[in-house]
Amino acid sequence: MTTPTWDKPGGPMAGEEFRSATTAIMANIERVIEGKAATVRLALAVLLAEGHLLIEDVPGVGKTKLAKALARSIDCSVRRIQFTPDLLPSDVTGVSVYNQETRDFEFKPGAVFANLVVGDEINRASPKTQSALLECMEERQVTVDGTTYELQSPFMVIATQNPIEMEGTYPLPEAQRDRFTARIAMGYPDPRAELAMLDGHGAHDPLNDLRPVADAGLVRRLIATVRDVHAADAVQQYAIALVTATREAPEIRLGASPRSTLQLVRTAKAVAALEGRDYVLPDDLQTLAVPVLAHRLIPTADAQLNRRTTDAIVAEILHRLPLPHERNRSPYDTRPNTGGAQYEPRGR
Amino acid sequence: MTGRRRLGMVAAGATLLAAAPISSIFESWSWLVRCIVAVGLIAGAALLARTVRFPVWAQALSMVVTLLLTLTWMFPSGHEILVPQPATFGHFADLVTQAGQDTRSYGVPVPDRDGLLFITVLGIGSVAIVVDLLTVVARRPALAGLPMLAIYSVPVAIYVDDVPILPFIIGSIGFLWLLVSDNIDRVRRFGRRFTGDGRDVDVWEPSPLAAAGRRLGVVGVATAVLLPLLMPSITGGLLSQITQSGSGIGDGTGIGGGGGKISLFAALNGNLTQGETVQVIKLTTNEQEPFYLRFGVADQLTNLGFGSRNPTGNSINRGLADPRNSTAGGEFQQYHAQIEISDSFRQTLLPIYANTIQTSDLGGGWSYDPNQQVIYSGRQTTKGKKYNFDYVRATYTESELRGAPALNRDDPLRTQYTNTPRDPYVDNLVAGLIKGKTNDYDKMRALYNYFAKTNGFTYSLSTQPAGSSSEIAAFLKNKVGYCQQYAAALAWMARVAGIPARVAFGFTKGAQQGNSWVITNRNAHAWTEIYLKGFGWIPFDATPASSVAGSTRTDWAPNVDQTFPTASSSAGTAAPGASSSAAAGNSNRLDRDPDAAGLGGNINGGATPISYTTLWTMAGVALLIALLLVPALRRLMVRRRRHAATVPKAPKVLAASGAGPPGEHDIVVTAEAAQAREDAHAAWDELLDTMIDYRIPVDPTETPRVTAHRLVGEAVLLEEPAAAATLLGTAEERARYARKPLQGAELTAALHLVRKGLARSANRRTRLTASLFPPSVLLRWRLGLAETSTRAAATASRWRESMSRFSPRRLLARSR
Repeated sequence: MTTPTWDKPGGPMAGEEFRSATTAIMANIERVIEGKAATVRLALAVLLAEGHLLIEDVPGVGKTKLAKALARSIDCSVRRIQFTPDLLPSDVTGVSVYNQETRDFEFKPGAVFANLVVGDEINRASPKTQSALLECMEERQVTVDGTTYELQSPFMVIATQNPIEMEGTYPLPEAQRDRFTARIAMGYPDPRAELAMLDGHGAHDPLNDLRPVADAGLVRRLIATVRDVHAADAVQQYAIALVTATREAPEIRLGASPRSTLQLVRTAKAVAALEGRDYVLPDDLQTLAVPVLAHRLIPTADAQLNRRTTDAIVAEILHRLPLPHERNRSPYDTRPNTGGAQYEPRGR
Repeated sequence: MTGRRRLGMVAAGATLLAAAPISSIFESWSWLVRCIVAVGLIAGAALLARTVRFPVWAQALSMVVTLLLTLTWMFPSGHEILVPQPATFGHFADLVTQAGQDTRSYGVPVPDRDGLLFITVLGIGSVAIVVDLLTVVARRPALAGLPMLAIYSVPVAIYVDDVPILPFIIGSIGFLWLLVSDNIDRVRRFGRRFTGDGRDVDVWEPSPLAAAGRRLGVVGVATAVLLPLLMPSITGGLLSQITQSGSGIGDGTGIGGGGGKISLFAALNGNLTQGETVQVIKLTTNEQEPFYLRFGVADQLTNLGFGSRNPTGNSINRGLADPRNSTAGGEFQQYHAQIEISDSFRQTLLPIYANTIQTSDLGGGWSYDPNQQVIYSGRQTTKGKKYNFDYVRATYTESELRGAPALNRDDPLRTQYTNTPRDPYVDNLVAGLIKGKTNDYDKMRALYNYFAKTNGFTYSLSTQPAGSSSEIAAFLKNKVGYCQQYAAALAWMARVAGIPARVAFGFTKGAQQGNSWVITNRNAHAWTEIYLKGFGWIPFDATPASSVAGSTRTDWAPNVDQTFPTASSSAGTAAPGASSSAAAGNSNRLDRDPDAAGLGGNINGGATPISYTTLWTMAGVALLIALLLVPALRRLMVRRRRHAATVPKAPKVLAASGAGPPGEHDIVVTAEAAQAREDAHAAWDELLDTMIDYRIPVDPTETPRVTAHRLVGEAVLLEEPAAAATLLGTAEERARYARKPLQGAELTAALHLVRKGLARSANRRTRLTASLFPPSVLLRWRLGLAETSTRAAATASRWRESMSRFSPRRLLARSR
């Protein structure tokens, strides 16, 4: 039902064209979300890395605004699902209804049949409803009544959730969390940005003035460009070392999945492309490790008791994992040189 | 048995082992029996005291009381019944006094004298108590080595030259046993030892923690053994240098020592074995073939061997004896001689010729001993002296000397100069040799001829010095020795034959240089003099003439090794020219045989030792500087190599390269690109090393970009160096991760800039260290060493593990 299939996103772009396109999108979003360049860039990177974004923060910091600004900047189909406790899976995926005229069941597509799906307050829906997103997020298809419907490309789920409020919420299951490429926190704006926000938003919502600066076709070409970014062996080894380290870290009960490795490198490619490079640096992985990996990890009971967040654990791993390059080997490093990175768990 | 009690037993055993050196003092072993009993009783008392949990002072008291009781039982005065009475202590005091007398009157090995045994048991018992207290109570077994060492110092004090080594080894084993036992006890008290794989650990199995100690031990022993080898001056040069330049031949204090161990022998030995040849005397005389210069005699023969008396006499201003006035025969020729003594030769005995009749230019303070016929001084030394003297050379014919009548048995000269310790071997030998000889001269010739090479006598410096009776006998059996043994043995034998004899010390005539004779320390010599009535003291030199530089023989004592008796008057030395050619041809051998080295007369005067010392010092300093410079040089070499790599080279494209059309994002592998990568890596390595040199930490978790950024921040680099550092970071980053490396960048110049910037912001000390002792090189070496040693330790432990599979203990444990 969708014309450009997932595997043929279009031809890559030249560096200059790519930069102007992405800069335009980011500038557009930043007209609404002020002083959050890094967050905006990361959100765009997740889009270009064909991933899904989980925005988690306290109420009122602009989670939904970011999602909507991103959606508006791109001229493509956008749907919004407000997750509520009584939301049903069929509301998300769609449902087959009996058509009296044709005397047949007819599929009514749900909210996920769009290029951008904004899922607000995703943890307010029951796990049953949340699970409806599992298939579409990973496989980009929906199966209802035995019939599989392919989703459009690009396809991105931007979900927001509130970590503070516990009553009446259902924490996302691990499988669901693992499907989100990155989890970002908005954070409070700095005073200057907040002042500008007061000035700008006082009269009217700038979101309404937002005009799309890209379309689905352009995004597909951007995605193709990102796919072409070079990730050297050393970088891939470093990614694997990072993920392996989370699996071996003593404070973590469940480490990151192979899917996360893939998504980490993919997002790193997007970040590299956004910075105008055609190769990934370990710096990119280091920037992304916390947003990409932390939300998937389950800390041990001890770590929880010690109030160790997974963010801190990942940051610590970054801090002590040597780069997988023999030339980067410090003379202070007395560990045997095995060529690749090694992670040695401490305290086990 | 608890560890503490076991340790007490070990302390007792170790004390007994440490007492082993005493065995070289006593003739029999009865001292050991007494010591075992005493130490055993003391240990038993300590054990008992600890079993009933006495306080420490009571333990010590019980041991002291036990020692007292044991001494009382072993050395009873007859008044006491088991318990010491006041009379007992008086008896003990007598024993101590007696021991004091015994030590003076007996030579080693001593018989079982009560006093000496008492002292021994008392000493060993006290040591046992101290060792026990230090080990068991104070838990300081290392300190217990001190009292043990005190035991060893006894034979050391007695045998000045030659200390037996085996007892010391036994004593050391005892001490080590004590240390090991204490350590094992400590570990046991700490808890049960086990390995990670759950098996029990054998008591003797070293713990992994001990590896560091073992490493230290190996390094320490290796250093202790190797260091003296690396510094030849310590073994040979330095020590002999001290005896030579510090006090000359036979320091005055040594000669004044009287009847004990005579230092003339030691000085002679020191001169001959000294590594360097030093000019001692320059002699000018109008005599064609002068005999030996002479400065001292050893005329007292005791159990300890020949020794010399202090010379006594009147000032030389009163005149010297003239032999021509009171002689029974012989021809006399008067000569004149002048002597210049070098600064390195300092003693209180003056080298002159025998029968010196007049001296001049000597200054005051010199006296003449008519008996010893030596000139000596209580205040002056010979250092730098220049003096003249007249002397008469006496020549006697054999028949004249044969006519010399024997001295009366009670003649004081005879009683004084024929006194010898009894040695059956020497007595029998002399009796056999002089059998049938009727006069003293014939007897002496018979004895003298005995030392011929045909009888198996050979010359070697590498023997023990002559001295006590047993050594003389040993020399006569071994027949290997040098001048002092020959001289002492002949004098001894002459005394046995009833002829007054003594040992004279001096110099052979040395090497001729124009009218003068140059005498070095190699010409130091000793020979025998006998007294013939009516003729006085007549020299006999029994040392093989061919082995002594400047050896001279007389008509009445011709060279017994010479095949042509007619040439005997000028034996041995031959023509200087011929000798020097022989010397040149055999320089190696001559070096080893110092006495012969002077034969050729190749003397460089006093310059040689100085130049050697200077040379050694300079070489040492140069070596030290070179060693200190090694890290800096190494750093420089590494830098040059890397710079060579970062210098841009002419692009060279491989034939098969550039496969993809332009615009495609294929990785284009060209030699140029590969070279650029290598260059960037080399530059980056150099940058990291430079950072380490300037004490900026390197973090292996950092990316090149972050490292460069941090470098700029931490080292406060200004624009140019900062840009250079960033460039280096970018180059490395692209070399590692990008499809195409950065090409054409001036990395060498960037490195120079960064180094300059670092040097500017660093303090002086860091700068100096970075250039002289680059931490990067030192660190690499240290880590390399650590890695090697770790690998070696791992290999060793694997090997030990595989060997311990065959340990009988483990096999037994498995079979159970």
